[in-house]
Amino acid sequence: MEDYKFLFKIVLVGNAGVGKTCLVRRFTQGLFPPGQGATIGVDFMIKTVEVEGEKIKLQIWDTAGQERFRSITQSYYRSAHALILVYDISCQPTFDCLPDWLREIQEYANSKVLKILVGNKTDRDDREIPTQIGEEFAKQHDMYFLETSAKEAENVERLFYEIAAELIGQARSKDGTSAAAAAAQRQSDGGGSIGLGSLSAKAAQSNCCGGSNSSSSGNANSNSNSSQGG
Amino acid sequence: MRFHQGLMQMRRYATAVTLRQFGHAHTQTQTQAITHARRGTETTVVRTLASSASPLPELTQISDNVQRGNYAQLNDKDVAHFEQLLGKNHVLTEDLEGYNICFLKRIRGNSKLVLKPGNTQEVAAILRYCNERRLAVVPQGGNTGLVGGSVPICDEIVLSMQRMNKVLSVDEVTGIAIVEAGCILENFDQRARDVGLTVPLDLGAKASCHIGGNVSTNAGGVRVVRYGNLHGSVLGVEAVLANGQVLDLMSNFKKDNTGYHMKHLFIGSEGTLGVVTKLAMLCPHVSKAVNVAFIGLNSFDDVLKTFVSAKRNLGEILSSCELIDELALNTALQQFKFLNSPISGYPFYMLIETSGSNGDHDEEKINQFISQGMERGEILDGTVSGEPGKVQEIWKIREMVPLGLIEKSFCFKYDISLPLRDFYNIVDVMRERCGPLATVVCGYGHLGDSNLHLNVSCEQFNDEIYKRVEPFVYEYTSQLKGSISAEHGIGFLKKDYLHYSKNPVAIQWMRDMKKMFDPNGILNPYKMLN
Repeated sequence: MEDYKFLFKIVLVGNAGVGKTCLVRRFTQGLFPPGQGATIGVDFMIKTVEVEGEKIKLQIWDTAGQERFRSITQSYYRSAHALILVYDISCQPTFDCLPDWLREIQEYANSKVLKILVGNKTDRDDREIPTQIGEEFAKQHDMYFLETSAKEAENVERLFYEIAAELIGQARSKDGTSAAAAAAQRQSDGGGSIGLGSLSAKAAQSNCCGGSNSSSSGNANSNSNSSQGG
Repeated sequence: MRFHQGLMQMRRYATAVTLRQFGHAHTQTQTQAITHARRGTETTVVRTLASSASPLPELTQISDNVQRGNYAQLNDKDVAHFEQLLGKNHVLTEDLEGYNICFLKRIRGNSKLVLKPGNTQEVAAILRYCNERRLAVVPQGGNTGLVGGSVPICDEIVLSMQRMNKVLSVDEVTGIAIVEAGCILENFDQRARDVGLTVPLDLGAKASCHIGGNVSTNAGGVRVVRYGNLHGSVLGVEAVLANGQVLDLMSNFKKDNTGYHMKHLFIGSEGTLGVVTKLAMLCPHVSKAVNVAFIGLNSFDDVLKTFVSAKRNLGEILSSCELIDELALNTALQQFKFLNSPISGYPFYMLIETSGSNGDHDEEKINQFISQGMERGEILDGTVSGEPGKVQEIWKIREMVPLGLIEKSFCFKYDISLPLRDFYNIVDVMRERCGPLATVVCGYGHLGDSNLHLNVSCEQFNDEIYKRVEPFVYEYTSQLKGSISAEHGIGFLKKDYLHYSKNPVAIQWMRDMKKMFDPNGILNPYKMLN
């Protein structure tokens, strides 16, 4: 058994071509694969990160966006600790589909799952979805929000590190010793949604300020601690 | 020259359109084209002669110093007799290279005659005549064998089964199919699939190998872990004995405990006891949901743990569990640019396939299997899909691995059964032994069946490396009580090593049996027993 403190399962969903695979590749391998083909089925990988001096393993599941290739997606929702819902800021239809994705998430995922809305491709100059629209949508649906560019490596590390920090916070708030136990407790935690609500507002704010990774991680953590207090 | 160009093309693209066997226009071509179109495969692997660019090997009788048996010499009268029996079109005396040279280009016989019977009676008439005349015969299917069992060693008459290619019946209710020996495995499978069944045997050479050859060699392949070997799936055989007698051991039942189970003698006896002409195969139903996972692992220890986990979590739906090591994969990727590996950079890869009847259930199980493997740190990276195109793409990687190793080099291939704990050690040991003499030493194979394909490739066959590899590989295997030939058979290349896996008493009984079935030794001489 390897030495790590927590293991979290993160699943990426969203329309085809919004850049889910590129976000994952950028994060896990530090590269941007040009001409990345459509994902068929599900790709999975492990990435170990260090947050607050703790070794954290992230189990990342990168699902197919195209309906016809999504034969094995739904069963992956249930055990997820975090869901990253991605759209393309330069493509309105990918944003318009978000309610459909949320319905699916509601149907299959645990109701307390950490949800993050990501507007990808900020490097493009043909933006169709203003940041504010994305932010509002996230707030409405109790989601954390971030805009990223897998191509320019913007906010990609931060996305995953903040998720890790938030999940650690949730796990610790229940005094879990193992990741599994912590996750189980977290999911039965009735007060989770309050924490999420405040976090999404906080996240939107920190996005505007463009805070650094470490400081925003710290924020996320203290935030969830405070939610425990409340 | 056309012959060689044809081969090059075939090996590069292997499309249905260019599909010919050994440069001869082939009656199967059209059927295969249809088959392929239906399945939408454009790059089905067609196994044919290796290293088309390299020169012809020396005649094996000379290179291996083979003493020709005491057989009669073929004469014009014999040829005339066969022409009368089969019709001129089915008696070949020219352009026989494709029939004389083995797939690996290791063996080159010097046959002057190829016979293509169209039915059991013709096979019987040929053997009766040959037995009386003391003419040696080598039965040949798709010529995809890896131990030189299906090619002549001296000047044996080649008995090609390629015209006996019909699927006679497929019973949807019982799942029993009756098929002639010369039917190409893939065509047989397609016929079975037409009624929702599948042939319980699948291997890389499926587009060229014959089902009769599969049965005669007890071929294994990638589904043994699910369906067991052919001794279970083959319900009956019809075989023609050396004296021309037709031995009808066909059966339409799974259960038949009447007398000796003689059919088993013809499964894996490599055409030395009789020529299989027809068989009954029990075909399972096609699975509704097929998923394939391709995963990367850091150590062989993790591979073993993942295998155990696959059996525990996927149990009843596990239909394949294959191992590919880094060098084997990389060699294939280098040789065949059309291959796409979903992941890279790991010392070991596993291909795990599930076949079940309920897609949702299967997904659930796979999800759990992968999640747990990742939680324990055994599975690091990978992909899983049930989309047929992707499933095929992943399988193509596995299927091209053996071909990658012989594409531009000579390859010593070993097919051994080893206890799983020691399964991979031999690759490291061999790598050390060969040092710079070998270009690639790698292992891949059917982990689920404890069956490793150990490959040592070098630029050209040479004695120095040969002596490093053999008989060491057999001694090593024998010490671990493994089998020196898990699925490829003994053929010509391994007959001197049979004693590593069979004791003297067993070998003596094999000799006695051979003598009883074929007193004149005309059937596939120089093979199996020395």
